[in-house]
Amino acid sequence: MAEVTIKNIVKRYGELEVIHGVNVDIADGEFVVLVGPSGCGKSTLLRMIAGLEPISGGDLSIGKRIVNTMPPKDRDIAMVFQSYALYPHKTVAENMGFSLKIKGAPKAEIDAKVRQAAGVLDLTKLLDRYPRQLSGGQRQRVAMGRAIVRNPQVFLFDEPLSNLDAKLRVAMRVEIKELHQRLKTTTIYVTHDQIEAMTMADKIVVMKDGYVEQIGAPLDLYDNPANVFVAGFIGSPSMNFLRGRIRSEGGVQRFVSDHGSVLPVKPIEVEDGRPVIYGVRPEHIGLGAEGLAVKVAVVEPTGAETQLFARAGEDTIDALLRDRVGVRAGEAVNFVIDPQKAHVFDQQTTKRLS
Amino acid sequence: MGSNRTGWLLLAPTLIILGGFGIVPFIYVLWVSFHQWNPFGANPAMIYNGADNFRRLVFDTEFLQSVWFTMQFGFFAVVSEIVIGYLLAQLLMRDFPGKSIFRTIHTLPLIVAPIVVGSVWRLMTTPSIGIIPYYLNHWFGYQMNIGSSATAAFVTTVVMDIWHWTPLVTLTLLAAIVGLPKDPFEQAQIDGANRWQIFWHITLPMIRPAILATVFIRLMDALRTVDEIWMLTGGGPGAATRYVGLHIWKIVFPKTDYGYGSAISVIVLYLTLVMCWLLYVGLVAPRVKRST
Ligand SMILES: Nc1ncnc2c1ncn2[C@@H]1O[C@H](COP(=O)(O)OP(=O)(O)OP(=O)(O)O)[C@@H](O)[C@H]1O
Ligand SMILES: [Mg+2]
Repeated sequence: MAEVTIKNIVKRYGELEVIHGVNVDIADGEFVVLVGPSGCGKSTLLRMIAGLEPISGGDLSIGKRIVNTMPPKDRDIAMVFQSYALYPHKTVAENMGFSLKIKGAPKAEIDAKVRQAAGVLDLTKLLDRYPRQLSGGQRQRVAMGRAIVRNPQVFLFDEPLSNLDAKLRVAMRVEIKELHQRLKTTTIYVTHDQIEAMTMADKIVVMKDGYVEQIGAPLDLYDNPANVFVAGFIGSPSMNFLRGRIRSEGGVQRFVSDHGSVLPVKPIEVEDGRPVIYGVRPEHIGLGAEGLAVKVAVVEPTGAETQLFARAGEDTIDALLRDRVGVRAGEAVNFVIDPQKAHVFDQQTTKRLS
Repeated sequence: MGSNRTGWLLLAPTLIILGGFGIVPFIYVLWVSFHQWNPFGANPAMIYNGADNFRRLVFDTEFLQSVWFTMQFGFFAVVSEIVIGYLLAQLLMRDFPGKSIFRTIHTLPLIVAPIVVGSVWRLMTTPSIGIIPYYLNHWFGYQMNIGSSATAAFVTTVVMDIWHWTPLVTLTLLAAIVGLPKDPFEQAQIDGANRWQIFWHITLPMIRPAILATVFIRLMDALRTVDEIWMLTGGGPGAATRYVGLHIWKIVFPKTDYGYGSAISVIVLYLTLVMCWLLYVGLVAPRVKRST
């Protein structure tokens, strides 16, 4: 077990810089999730932590030791690759036991550990098969199994659940979480699924284009996103954004969109007429007698919730309602927004002002 | 019916060539091997003598010795070619200055005719004019004479074969290595394997089919080398490098003992098949069985 410190880490491929000075502190035993859109550098960062990719600048330490140039085999980490990376010529059992065999563990111990991990991952019947005889999801579980038979300093997971079906994914999510609670091993987990990030993480690192946008606890990111990108990335369905200005009338500040919709805000210290982006989550919008008058374009009931896609003039706004509503497409309703839950971002910097 | 005819028609050229150049001569050799036949001797007629030729073979120490030498030759040549070929293939996987020139030059021996290879090596190894004896003497004070030292002659034939055929092994193994996926090797590093363990547990099993195929091809080739050896040592000194191919040649041509020569050819073919079969049973079959 160990803490991991990522200090000003830079990655260049020749002239091309893909990671621009990332800083993350990961405490011993913490479960950290890296999220971000495709190509933002999550895998690259993880591979640098694993030692598979040379570090172009900055310091990486695992357990207080700087490991920039330490080869992967000495870092004592377990990693699950996005592409599984199974050994094609070894059976499932041999794949899972390989790291223990390399360490010279006795055969009985390897067997016991492999069997136990296989039990957890529901692979017991497949132990004698070869990777090519497995489905994508089964391969992914073997890759997981290979990591959990070990007792490493740090677990690194690169989208380990991306190929599983929805049900298995939820089951494995719980499994990984339980595993972490039991072993308390520092874990760095990459995903682009923000639900996975929200449900599993002690701490989320949101990345974009090789920069860290924000680091924080899941609910902290949800409640207080640092900028438009994080606000839009965290939460599903995604936050509504409207461009417009802040106007004061008789001491009351309001947001007026470029297309004329007027929405409430909590008091903020900005000059009148400042161009801003207004953000409100669909789940923070309710129906009421007065408020923003909108016309419903599409109604999507999912059983537990109802999502409304609506238009207020040129502006489009979604609302997510907890209960079933008898609203039909084409109907006119009023959206009520709690000003405490609405955010205001600067148009220039996209940083949050409220 | 019609499609069947078309099928045979399409196969016909292959079958004709295979039959004309492979099966018919083989059956002919097999037939000759049961006869006493010396077309240029006192009695040029073919006389059926049953299995006499084969009986003679079993007690022919010259023949048995040549089989033994051939096997040693094949073993040392093929093992060295695989090892050197693998190392060269790994070298070619890396970047170094002059790589493309090196790659081109190193494959040149492949396009040289065996008879030329033999002549060149003969020139290079002849005492007093050859470059190899000169430097061996200059640097190590070793007097090399493949005309008198059986060991020197044997080693030289092996080295010549290595020089000639290693590029083939390099190219085959290079193709196999280039085709390997990258991530199992990264995973092995993560799993804590060092270079040697990665080679032994990951690389070797993954290129094993290519290695085996190369061993088969090279072994069968090495067991029937004639021309290079004939040019280099003529089978000498004594019978030290008189490998079976050469032995057959000596019996069939200078001695014109066609019947006995044919019998040896048949036995050598049989021995080659047995060796390949043993290799297959020992190395390939267990794998295939395990993975199904
Ligand atoms: N070998 C390479 N040479 C040049 N650029 C590379 C190389 N490998 C990755 N990149 C670039 O680095 C950036 C980050 O890639 P990375 O694989 O880390 O993305 P990611 O966040 O893991 O994306 P995904 O979610 O699709 O897996 C990408 O823009 C990619 O094009
Ligand atoms: Mg990735």
